Amino acid sequence: MSGTGHTVKSYEEEMQSLNDNLVMMGSLTENQMADAMAAVIKVDKESVDKIVKNDGKINELRSTIDNQITTVLVKRAPMAVDLRITISTMKISHDLERIGDLAKSVAKKVKPLPVDLPDELIGSLRRLGDLVQKQLKDALDAYLNRSKDKAIEIWKKDEQVDDLTNLAMNEVATYLQKDKKNLEMATHLLFVTKNIERAGDHITNIAESLYYLIEGEYLEGARPKGKPIES
Amino acid sequence: MELNNSKIKIKAKNLNVYYGKKQALFDINLDINQKEVTALIGPSGCGKSTFIRCINRMNDVIDICKVEGSVEIDGAEINEKNVDVVTLREKVGMVFQKPNPFPKSIYDNIAYGPIIHGAAENKDQMDKIVETSLKKAALWDEVKDRLNEPGTSLSGGQQQRLCIARALSVNPEVILMDEPCSALDPIATAKIEELIDDLKKSYTIVIVTHSMAQAVRVSQKTGFFHLGKIIEVDSTDKIFKNPANKMTQDYITGRFG
Repeated sequence: MSGTGHTVKSYEEEMQSLNDNLVMMGSLTENQMADAMAAVIKVDKESVDKIVKNDGKINELRSTIDNQITTVLVKRAPMAVDLRITISTMKISHDLERIGDLAKSVAKKVKPLPVDLPDELIGSLRRLGDLVQKQLKDALDAYLNRSKDKAIEIWKKDEQVDDLTNLAMNEVATYLQKDKKNLEMATHLLFVTKNIERAGDHITNIAESLYYLIEGEYLEGARPKGKPIES
Repeated sequence: MELNNSKIKIKAKNLNVYYGKKQALFDINLDINQKEVTALIGPSGCGKSTFIRCINRMNDVIDICKVEGSVEIDGAEINEKNVDVVTLREKVGMVFQKPNPFPKSIYDNIAYGPIIHGAAENKDQMDKIVETSLKKAALWDEVKDRLNEPGTSLSGGQQQRLCIARALSVNPEVILMDEPCSALDPIATAKIEELIDDLKKSYTIVIVTHSMAQAVRVSQKTGFFHLGKIIEVDSTDKIFKNPANKMTQDYITGRFG
């Protein structure tokens, strides 16, 4: 928010509450992503139900934020920075909700996996998962600090997410080639990989919304894309 | 956007206005584009009404008011001694906050100006002027059967459109509007805004408004006044989405004072 507060205190409180709810949503999404990745890496089937259940809290917060935004639009007809905060908060909350859904999908894939996943597959998934979690944390920090530079950095870094995704998929494909009996496991792991990568895409959306909030302009040009790897 | 391609109709240069010892406007430089709506916003007493009154020399009627600097319309200085203010006000019409029809019939309200300016030679011509003006102000259909009734018998919104029709009757080029909707309900306001949209095809319009939403809806360019100074002028889109100046931002987002 801008240096000085709104003359109307209740407007100030409404915007503050919107901010608080988004931060809360971000923190829950971060936890979900971390829990889902831990469940995959450890093939921890017991944690899955809890992760699935926790997604409900994120969805609830998104509904709350949607309602708050509708109210702010009707009551305040926000202008300038308030308008940009309102629009960006709506978009960011939707991206967070989608990331939460993807984390849930990742967790659900753990149940059918064999407990003895090969180390090389776990390794490549862990690297991808770590990077995406780092991106999410950085995006939420950048939101709190209104950091334009950090937003650009996150946006550009999605290229690395793409590269690690391709590497992970390649690993799975190689494993599948070794023995066709691995087909079911490989299919689940490909979904897991793809879902993590899509979470990464939503994080770049958040970076774009944040940039618009701060600058009042859209990030120009196409986002750098990682190169597909020959298999 | 239009800002770069439009022809400048009105140019204020280093305009200073004083009421006695009190300075009301400080070094105003502002270009107003032809056939566009320019909105002026700012808190009460910021000088926006004083500014538009400089465009048709309405400040001349206030004894203690002194105007320095330049206002050009189509490149011609309007503050020169030899400028005929009656002709100037024919070219630059004005609509006020409260509808102020003359205590005359609807017909005579419109005919008054053209009579003074000798614009009609006979009754037929005058009938034509009255009809055309009322049509341009989107009021004709509502009043064509009651032209002899008093202008004050109309509703507030109709009265305001009557005043706009009255301004249009002498073929102006510029229309100044000083909070034209502040006394009107939302439906009457919508009709005036629809009319402004239509009128900008033929006229240059400058509107003072306290409603940000109205400024966004009707104007292409917006100027923010504060304490007698112009703080920021830009496309309306830019001013309300991403103003450059912090004072503008604080004002339009309600963070003032």
